[in-house]
Amino acid sequence: MIKQTEGSQAVAEAVALCRPEVICAYPISPQTHIVEGLGALVKAGDLAPCEFLNVESEFAAMSVAIGSSAAGARTYTATASQGLLFMVEAVYNASGLGLPIVMTVANRAIGAPINIWNDHSDSMSQRDCGWIQLFAESNQEALDLHIQAFKLAEEMSMPVMVCMDGFILTHAYEQVDMPDQAQVDAFLPPYEPRQVLDPAEPVSIGAMVGPEAFMEVRYLAHAKQTMALDRIPEIAAEFKEAFGRDAGGLVRGYRIEDAETIVVALGSVVGTLEETIDTMRAEGVKIGVLSIRCFRPFPMAAVRAALARTARVVVLEKSFAVGLGGIVSTDVRLAMVRIHVRGYTVVAGLGGRPITQDSLLRVLRLAVADELKNLTFLDLDWDIVNRHLAREAATRRSGPIAENLLRDIGSGARPTTAGKAQP
Amino acid sequence: MSENLSACMMRMVETDYALSDYQSDIAPRWCVGCGDTAILTAMQKLCRDEQLAPEKTVCVSGIGCSSRLPHYMNAYGFHGIHGRALPVAEGVKIRRPDLDVFVTTGDGDCTSIGAAHWIHAIRYNMNMTVLLHDNQIYGLTKKQASPTSPIGQKSNTTPFGSVLLPLNPLTVTLGVANVSFVAQAVDWIPDLLYDILKKAFHHRGLSFVRILQRCPEFMQHRFDDYVRDPSKMRILTHGNGLRLSPEVSRVYKNQETHDPLDMGRALAIAAIADEIPVGILYNDPSVPCYDDLRAGERPSTPALVETVLREEFDKVTIWPDDAEPVAAE
Repeated sequence: MIKQTEGSQAVAEAVALCRPEVICAYPISPQTHIVEGLGALVKAGDLAPCEFLNVESEFAAMSVAIGSSAAGARTYTATASQGLLFMVEAVYNASGLGLPIVMTVANRAIGAPINIWNDHSDSMSQRDCGWIQLFAESNQEALDLHIQAFKLAEEMSMPVMVCMDGFILTHAYEQVDMPDQAQVDAFLPPYEPRQVLDPAEPVSIGAMVGPEAFMEVRYLAHAKQTMALDRIPEIAAEFKEAFGRDAGGLVRGYRIEDAETIVVALGSVVGTLEETIDTMRAEGVKIGVLSIRCFRPFPMAAVRAALARTARVVVLEKSFAVGLGGIVSTDVRLAMVRIHVRGYTVVAGLGGRPITQDSLLRVLRLAVADELKNLTFLDLDWDIVNRHLAREAATRRSGPIAENLLRDIGSGARPTTAGKAQP
Repeated sequence: MSENLSACMMRMVETDYALSDYQSDIAPRWCVGCGDTAILTAMQKLCRDEQLAPEKTVCVSGIGCSSRLPHYMNAYGFHGIHGRALPVAEGVKIRRPDLDVFVTTGDGDCTSIGAAHWIHAIRYNMNMTVLLHDNQIYGLTKKQASPTSPIGQKSNTTPFGSVLLPLNPLTVTLGVANVSFVAQAVDWIPDLLYDILKKAFHHRGLSFVRILQRCPEFMQHRFDDYVRDPSKMRILTHGNGLRLSPEVSRVYKNQETHDPLDMGRALAIAAIADEIPVGILYNDPSVPCYDDLRAGERPSTPALVETVLREEFDKVTIWPDDAEPVAAE
């Protein structure tokens, strides 16, 4: 059924159609509307049988999820930013135990400084935690990915994180095609756990494993993620057959067949990039976009195949490894080993900085001319940066950076794209 | 000695702080009618009346509507991580015991995500003033039930009403080992809010003040009955607690004389459900502060180090038989 709805509400309804039996969450922007929507469905009796638990923290949310999943319940939670970081110990525990929990991460920056706006720092901080990570380009895909996520998680017996851009997707009203219960039931069979706390077949979950087998347990997690690389495109194909829509899979190319330049990105910014690429194509530039829809497991072969015949790659990412540069780019470069491609990293949109077509056109034109620096920060305001560096050089006790910068640009004002910005 | 002298000199030079000296140039971003405003005003009045030097005063908070308060105080501020206001304040206090530390934390920050730290902060009993801004709802994330939300409270996570009994921050705090000061105030009786904050500030140890506050946006009529009917407010008075002004006494006639050392009665008062008790429930100045216990454990000031060294040297000093000890120059 076609409907006009908020991204969060669409995800809430899609998750409800998957018949989760336990939902536990702690509110954090911009995730709140998803769990509020589910809370309302549970309390109204529209989603039954299902327990909705208002826990006291994200740490509790993931810990409860571990317990309920181990007890055989299809389990769902959602979080963002600081909330994801607070639950990290339990996040690793869930994957280490192989519990098929599905979690939405409404992507948001990590503080300090406190910032509620979108980037991918939160999910990227957990790229090595053993969860599968899927990224949604649109509200429709976010909705569809959740239905696929439960199937994937339960088949592989490993947890899945569905990442969707905070506010840009979660709070945007868009048209979505909402499947009906019968369609989802036909696609997603009831949860059949690989391991469960069952009095009829007593087991303990959470063994202590010493040097004799720890590496093997960890390797098996990697082996299973590698198997997921095969299963993810298959599930996307099954989904397309059942629902008639293209969603999920490992990567998706847009106008890359003859492209001499390919921009690699994740999430909602792919839409902006496609329009930018159309503009450049109209100018005769052979350029395309590769959307990474599955970041963990990293689709090394698929990325390599997509980039094999291009001359240059620009990785545009909303995340940043301080002291190194790109996070996504590092993985993409691994896929480019021994193929002769020039690589550029553009870090963009941190803490909600708008990524505009004008700015994208500027850096991509520089990239096409091979005049772009290897590492570029889109729309970074050098005046602000240099002013602070000068202050630090002049004064030992120069004070907190964030507060100084706010004072420099006018107290209380939120930094926006500056006019004088240069790549 | 020289430290005290310079502090005295500073005080002589820099007296007469006005209310405006504690107001920052950022306009509070709270809803109209928010109880946080009354608490901020009471804090600023306290600072002025105590002539606390802004540079010797610290406000630490976590995350939430109330945790924005440090931005609006012209003092040192620390807007921290959700639930971690108390440990951050402990870190500040342990390094700089000379600073006056205030902690502003909400019912979500303190009694939910930060509950573990709350219990242990009470037990450490460091010398600081903790204000629990309790509006019984998560405000910053826009109306979800908190641990102190009343039973039946409808919210975005409890659309048909909260089914759990609310957590009572007073009984919880009173139940922790080493508790030394527990009080309750309400935002709509500013005189008593101020008096209670003042008592809390002068208590040496962790003073825990739960402040019931109105949230005009998400809990519109929660306290209407209590605001309109002063007889539903039970005011606790005592020679060692609050002494009421004639004006307050005239309006709030429902009074109880309560000795703040009486833990049994304090627990009973904390559990009262049909009235709101306001005043000092518990105050035992003899409970040792963490600061003092640490001082006994290991000398940390130059004077203490010198005393201990002299004692040690005296143990091994041999005075000549025929000579009297001569005092050192």
